[in-house]
Amino acid sequence: MDIDKDNANPTILNPSDLPSRRRESTGRRRDDGGTGLFNDLIPRYNYLSDAFDDPVSPTDSDDDAREDIDEQEIYDLISTICDPEHPLSLGSLSVVNLPDIHILPPTSPLSSISTVVVEITPTITHCSLATVIGLGVRVRLEQALPPRFRVDVRIKKGTHSTDAQVNKQLGDKERVAAALENGTLMGVLRKMLATCE
Amino acid sequence: MSAPPDSPTYTLSPLATLTPPSNSRTWQSAPHPSLPIVATACSDRSVRVYSLTSFTLLHSITGGHKRSVRSVSWKPGTQGQSVLATGSFDSSAGIWRRDERGTLEDDFTNRRIGSAEDDDQDDEADDYQFSCILDGHESEIKSLSWSPSGQYLATCSRDKSVWIWEELEDDNFETVAVLQEHDGDVKCVAWHPEEDLLVSTSYDDTVRLYREDADDWVQVSMIDGHDKTVWWAEFEGSDMSKRDFRAQRVGLDGEKLRDIEALERSGPRLATCSDDCTVRVWRRKPKERDENASSNTGIPSIIRSVAIDEDWYQEAILPQQHERAIYSVSWSHITGMIVSAGSDGKIIVYKERWRAQTPKGANGVEMHDDQGATIEDTQPLTEWVVVAELISAHDVFEINHVSWAKRADKGKRWDDEEVIVSTGDEGEARVWTLDETGVSQA
Repeated sequence: MDIDKDNANPTILNPSDLPSRRRESTGRRRDDGGTGLFNDLIPRYNYLSDAFDDPVSPTDSDDDAREDIDEQEIYDLISTICDPEHPLSLGSLSVVNLPDIHILPPTSPLSSISTVVVEITPTITHCSLATVIGLGVRVRLEQALPPRFRVDVRIKKGTHSTDAQVNKQLGDKERVAAALENGTLMGVLRKMLATCE
Repeated sequence: MSAPPDSPTYTLSPLATLTPPSNSRTWQSAPHPSLPIVATACSDRSVRVYSLTSFTLLHSITGGHKRSVRSVSWKPGTQGQSVLATGSFDSSAGIWRRDERGTLEDDFTNRRIGSAEDDDQDDEADDYQFSCILDGHESEIKSLSWSPSGQYLATCSRDKSVWIWEELEDDNFETVAVLQEHDGDVKCVAWHPEEDLLVSTSYDDTVRLYREDADDWVQVSMIDGHDKTVWWAEFEGSDMSKRDFRAQRVGLDGEKLRDIEALERSGPRLATCSDDCTVRVWRRKPKERDENASSNTGIPSIIRSVAIDEDWYQEAILPQQHERAIYSVSWSHITGMIVSAGSDGKIIVYKERWRAQTPKGANGVEMHDDQGATIEDTQPLTEWVVVAELISAHDVFEINHVSWAKRADKGKRWDDEEVIVSTGDEGEARVWTLDETGVSQA
């Protein structure tokens, strides 16, 4: 692994610069409906575990479907994933970034299926490990989120030379399922995810 | 969708969940061609065979595959025994047999209902016996399918190839073709109901058709219409124009009668579904009689004859109700209705009907956009409408497969009544009835 790093010299963010709920980070949040303003009032851990205990939680019937899991929580779940070639987290390498995480509410009041879209930014445009990183993100979210979430992981447009190909692979449920039955690949993924919690 | 005045609407109602369900992702449920049973392909490496009479588990087939079982297919036309093919992510296919003598259709179902006590202790002989393994693919098998005659078994894989196996005698399979036309994983294989015509769909977004030409299986057509991975394909049943809405011929004008004739010359159509969120129907251009065969010029043909090539064109895009990848589509061989399901957890049922007569050019908007660029001022005479929609059919889970099956439980209301069997990520296979709920007013 050490010999042929795709990017031997990545830019690394200081952990204190990473987005977290505890700081006044409202400036970073998208101004799209104001739910962000109240996030800081909600005690973080209780909130998170509640949502997990009750996966099919009441589909909020009040008009603007409020999500009980927000982008910051998604970020917290995946930013700690370890990069497969550096002993650093995807957050500190800016591979995953809070503004590139979006939660789309159910498209119909009759449905409780929400979609999480994560766009990842490989450290360099031809990073051969982009697929593995994307797979790690998808697997982490599929394991951690309740099943009512669909997880779409993509390479951020223009940040990778073969993004269409990688996106197609990451979006293919059957390929992802088969990959998880592949011992070697699972070994790599397990190492990447070992740093989560 | 606003249904025009006289459009009947249907409701999907839950009839049963096959129990006990698997608790890991189940990929597919294959109804037996003659017995009231269904086999499910499960990611826990097992196949479960359930009764469609009692909706309970009859057999578990385990210990064969080393990884997920992705696909199952019953061999048609077997006498006295059931033969099941299983395709797995371990890149092998398995053949399993069970003696059904003495458990003819009626006995079989009665026994299960009547004497529930001795059911749980099936002897060895009562179980499905492993009979042989088909090795050859380099990576995961995604789908497999027996030809209607039972002579051929087609398998396809992530290794981009389609294999055709011929069963020479029991348990002696020969590879008769390895077709490598696709540029990506081959997701599905299916056979034409009347001809030895095979279709495959792929990650490369194309659909390909093959048949045998002078001892060699060759590609005879390539369909390039979907924008993304084509997950599934299924042919229409035989002679459907005698059974579906076309069966009612009284009062049809000459144009419609000619349309039916043309369809009968084309033969069964093909339905495909894709990651691009569409279900499409494809139709074969009937072959002209010999007059057009200008290739008969006496030139010795080293290159295979063009005459075997087929032209399949897009006849319709079904109304778009799905929001995510559509994994499965199934064509009722009784009513001609189509059902589809996928990642968004919806089950959608579509029905074809005569298009309401309108002055030319009045309603050109809906069906034909891309392929229909050649909207030869003749619009198709038929259209597909959504007649039933069920949201969250497997709660929040994705639906991997959907299929029609003959209804076989006590509640069956008429001969030929069908149920829909859907298979989900949570491991359950659910059975639904389709009831006409009346005529909606526009």
